[in-house]
Amino acid sequence: MRTRILSMVLSAAALLGASAVATAQTQPVTVPLRFDHYYTYEQIGEALRALHAAYPALTTLDVVGRSEEGREVWAMTVNNGKTGAPLSKPGVYVDGNIHGNEIQAGEVCLYLLNELLTKYGQNDQITKLVDRNAFYVIPSVNVDGRYHFFHDPNNPSSDRTMRVPRDDDRDGLVDEDPAEDLDGDGNICTMRKKDPFGQWKTDPLEPRLMVRVKAGEQGEWTILGDEGIDNDHDGKLNEDEPGYLDGNRNWGINWAPPYVQSGSGEYPFQAAVPRAIAKYVTDRPNIIMVFAFHNNGGMYLRGPSTKAEGELNPRDIAVYDVLGQNAEKILPGYHYLVSWEDLYPTYGDFTDFTDNVLGAYGFVGELFVTASETYRAPSAAAKPEAPEGGDDFMGGNAEQQRERLQFSDHVVQGELYRDWHPFKHPQFGDIEIGGWVKMSSRLPHPFMLPDLVHRNASAVLYAASQTPDVSLAVLGTDRLGAGLSRVRVRVANAGVMPTLSYATVQKKTHPLDTLKAAGPGLTVVSGGVVTDLDRNQVTYKEHRPEIQFLQVPGNGKADYQFLVSGTGTLTITYSSVKAGTRTATVAVR
Amino acid sequence: MSRRPPIPRAALTCVLALVAVAAGGASQQAPPAPTAAAPVSFDRYHTPQEIVAAVQAYAKIHLGRAAVHTIATSPAGLDVVVLEIGPDVAAKTRTSPAVLVVANAEGTVPLASEAALALADLLFNRPEMTKELTWFIVPALNPDASRRYFGKPLVADARNGSVYNDDMDDQADEDGPDDLNGDGVISQMRVKDPSGEWMPVEGDPRLLKRAEASKGEKGVYRLYTEGLDNDGDGTYNEDPAGGVDIGVTFPHLFHPFASEAGPWPGHEPETFGLMKFAVDHPEIAMAVTFGSSNFCLNPPRGGRQGSADFTAIKIPEDIAKRFGADPNRTYSMQEILDMVRPMVPAGFEINESMISSFLGLGAVVNPLEDDLKFYRELSDRYKEFLKAAKLDAKRLDPAPDKDGSFELWAYYHLGVPSFSMDFWTLPVAEEPKAEPSGITADTLEGMSSDAFLALGEDKLAAFLKEVGAPPNVSAKMLMDGVKSGRMTPKQMAGMLRQMPKPKDTSGGDPKLRALVAFSDKTFGGKGYLAWTPFTHPTLGEVEIGGAAPFADTTPPASMIAPLVTGQVPWVLQLADALPHVRILKTDVAAKGAGVYALTVWVENRGYLPFPTAMGKRDMHAPPAVATVKGAGVTLLSGLERTPIKEIGGHAAVKLQWLLQADKPATVDVTLASPTAWGDAATVRLGGAQ
Repeated sequence: MRTRILSMVLSAAALLGASAVATAQTQPVTVPLRFDHYYTYEQIGEALRALHAAYPALTTLDVVGRSEEGREVWAMTVNNGKTGAPLSKPGVYVDGNIHGNEIQAGEVCLYLLNELLTKYGQNDQITKLVDRNAFYVIPSVNVDGRYHFFHDPNNPSSDRTMRVPRDDDRDGLVDEDPAEDLDGDGNICTMRKKDPFGQWKTDPLEPRLMVRVKAGEQGEWTILGDEGIDNDHDGKLNEDEPGYLDGNRNWGINWAPPYVQSGSGEYPFQAAVPRAIAKYVTDRPNIIMVFAFHNNGGMYLRGPSTKAEGELNPRDIAVYDVLGQNAEKILPGYHYLVSWEDLYPTYGDFTDFTDNVLGAYGFVGELFVTASETYRAPSAAAKPEAPEGGDDFMGGNAEQQRERLQFSDHVVQGELYRDWHPFKHPQFGDIEIGGWVKMSSRLPHPFMLPDLVHRNASAVLYAASQTPDVSLAVLGTDRLGAGLSRVRVRVANAGVMPTLSYATVQKKTHPLDTLKAAGPGLTVVSGGVVTDLDRNQVTYKEHRPEIQFLQVPGNGKADYQFLVSGTGTLTITYSSVKAGTRTATVAVR
Repeated sequence: MSRRPPIPRAALTCVLALVAVAAGGASQQAPPAPTAAAPVSFDRYHTPQEIVAAVQAYAKIHLGRAAVHTIATSPAGLDVVVLEIGPDVAAKTRTSPAVLVVANAEGTVPLASEAALALADLLFNRPEMTKELTWFIVPALNPDASRRYFGKPLVADARNGSVYNDDMDDQADEDGPDDLNGDGVISQMRVKDPSGEWMPVEGDPRLLKRAEASKGEKGVYRLYTEGLDNDGDGTYNEDPAGGVDIGVTFPHLFHPFASEAGPWPGHEPETFGLMKFAVDHPEIAMAVTFGSSNFCLNPPRGGRQGSADFTAIKIPEDIAKRFGADPNRTYSMQEILDMVRPMVPAGFEINESMISSFLGLGAVVNPLEDDLKFYRELSDRYKEFLKAAKLDAKRLDPAPDKDGSFELWAYYHLGVPSFSMDFWTLPVAEEPKAEPSGITADTLEGMSSDAFLALGEDKLAAFLKEVGAPPNVSAKMLMDGVKSGRMTPKQMAGMLRQMPKPKDTSGGDPKLRALVAFSDKTFGGKGYLAWTPFTHPTLGEVEIGGAAPFADTTPPASMIAPLVTGQVPWVLQLADALPHVRILKTDVAAKGAGVYALTVWVENRGYLPFPTAMGKRDMHAPPAVATVKGAGVTLLSGLERTPIKEIGGHAAVKLQWLLQADKPATVDVTLASPTAWGDAATVRLGGAQ
């Protein structure tokens, strides 16, 4: 696992360069939405407005905030007002594209919205979810990144970060050496130069690829780096691109400064969009389930984000296991993993924030699996995701690259790869430019998109079905003596998730749910939790017996007992920030 | 860029300060009278609103030299302002380095805000200190908490005005302290309780100490803050009005969800506004915090576990295998960088931060040894300074730096020299060395009533203290008793023999003893209040009294002027120690055929290193950049812009270029740094030298 992770880490860090084949389509966006193409930033806006226009009663479209470059960040709420206000229901928050280049995360969000709305009233499962939950969906978090990824030349990894200017190369100038699309094809590809002393040679099995030379072999090529020029004449290429604040490292929980981790930002919430979303989600404390979609590796990652935070509460892990193992089955080739251990440690990431600040369950969904780009006889062995001892520390392995190239040639008619072609470089002279294009490597070809968005949306829908589903019932009343009655009530939860994560209860970071008993002419003399109904074991609360503080465990119950004097109608009110409010009344005589 | 005149030398400031002291002693100066030029006088404490008004008045008076920036509005609606004093107030681009001074982040140290105003006052009288150096002064970072000093009842509480559910129940801010006895002060309640953990200190029963079971002691009191259990949950004053202490809300060593810290660093507008301001001003070269800790006396604390040590990094086994490294030994960061560079594609820059995050090395949590050197040296100089200012009387230690404080953030994250000053703590209580009264049971035995009365009230009071009599037994009572014949000296002798021998007064908290002593001597007893009986609605019979708020942090107003005018000038000496880069020397060597070797020595003529070791580590400090340019001149080696990332204090670095010029030419060498000034020189290539 670690091996795969390693190459992933550094390829995720390989953020140089940029590129641009506009694959966006130009027809107007209509409902139901189509998922045979990618949506530009502008088209996401159109899609959300179209959904809202088609389903005004079920949707709210909000502007959460604005990016560094002034673009609006949209959130759509799906909620059936007839069954209650959003804050009275378990909230499910889904976002994507916090890294500007990880665009298909936005399509998953749009697809989820499309499913919830177009199938409401048609499909029983979905109807129940829309009636019972509030869905908050932000399809594109890094709106500047998405905008530039589509409209500017890029490589598959560039335009990842937020546009907070930073002097990446520490030379006193800011953002002065970006990559350039020298050949004007819209992609930031790779530059190479003939060099008999280079470290690379043409792949004997695939002339469009290169492999490292081994000891005793003559070199053929030197890889110069991503397409571009040395704008600041410091001998380094494309080393100070626009921005560099990683939107998923700038959140306030467990944040660490940039010398500990690249891209953190100089202080928590330095970037405008995370700051705006922090307010958006903390204003919606009913959120109990969070999905944040990214685009590389086929993983559902849970916390903790660093080893130092310590393992999660075991009962929370049990909840994650149910959801994560289910996701693995829904999504062939995906793995349910622990963020710091199986990928790499991150400080100040979004789901660590929501885990702690909202007391929610959070998954990072890494959407794309290389293995899905197949060109192989049925009898051939499945290709390994990143086999041990790949040829290149950074770029994966040659066998994988060859198959991807075959896939490009035969399945998507060559769209993923730009053949090497000569170029006269102002600094390097005669070179060649070529390699994987922007819309490759981490993005499924649009023909594969419907499967990807559907399966991942299904993982969200299942998790939503497991948010707390609470019912309140009076178990009975007994007259204990003159003017004294005993009322027993049960709060039950049919969801896997408790009404507040076990960790927040343990750490006492959030107010608990309340269970109140009150009624005119009635006094609650005593009250407490029934620890064993059969054996009549009750732990009384010494102060304020009329209000009990509790959490209702997943697929569990909490029984309480009140001793009440007087006669009248006793109202029992269960109130939970995440699971809503339930009331029951009982006559006390 | 032109050569700048040098800023005043450290020595000069030092002399001026010494002269000021010699001419009467800062500590004995009368408070300066308010004048038209000085909107504040230091004869009383100022409310946060008055402080804002004062800095606005300063900016108005010193138009073009001073300006006010609002960086936040507190939850209670008060402005958090920065007073800027310096040359760039009206400039479009900033050219001078800056010192950021932040006062009273905890909001419970009004003296710190007065010191900030005093610094502004001093700077307006010392134009040479603001000619090429900008000062950003935040006189009251936590105005919401600062207000409490001026309100009733008096309560010392660092929480700002946000609403925070401290006890995580169903209500917020519902159970704060209450002034039960109506004396305008929130003090303490002690309640007799067999399970209490507090007991009176022998010798001064006003004082309480924790009973130590190992010494056979038994607690008799429970101690509470004065108040009711407003929310009826069985605990007292556990959810007072207000949110968090701004003094612990910065990101370094922040403790999420801890009491008074809040959910995340910078959650509060005051903190966020200051962080943003500091980062948006890369010219900030030094931070000075006025508050509770004192980095001028004691360097930032070390000794924490888990600090990232870049000189000895262990590489986990699975990664070591990929790197070709030995998991059983340690590597320096440089060695790891050298190891990884060949493994990444050309053009891809690996830096320390990537390695650090990849290996999960984490943050630095202890001050770096190279920085401790200047902290220690400056501490020695500061002690000399205090001595000269006659402000070196023995006093309680300043509070240690707090996790999440501004001063730690400035050192660890901004990467600038971070100093702090506390200005005052209680004088250490002198152990009572009262003349023995000379009275014993034996002398009393044979004493006549007249002789007893002739001893006088003072001597009898001293006697009572020696024997550890309860506070309700006064000398006057004894004298009245003898006068009226209800009691004889002989009877007293008998009683005395039955009393337990008084114990040493030690065992009580030295801070409390200092407080009691100071209260009795200077505050007329108002700093430590007598315990007075009170019938509490839920606790029953209690006594209210004990430590009064602010008595341990806030001296009487008459002491403000001597304390601040005596100590604030030290900040100017710190500023004089700032790194200051200049071109020390240039040299051109003709190599023939129009080729020249240009050598430039760049000196840091300041005492402090450029940047601090931590500033180098955290990569926040901007580099100095040397630029070489000339018409008709080609660079054969070296960069047109050469970033200089490091020059030690009073040290120099050598830069070299190889240039080509077919004809005699002029080369402009410029040196620029946002935090350390700059310089310029012109050199000739060829022709008459």
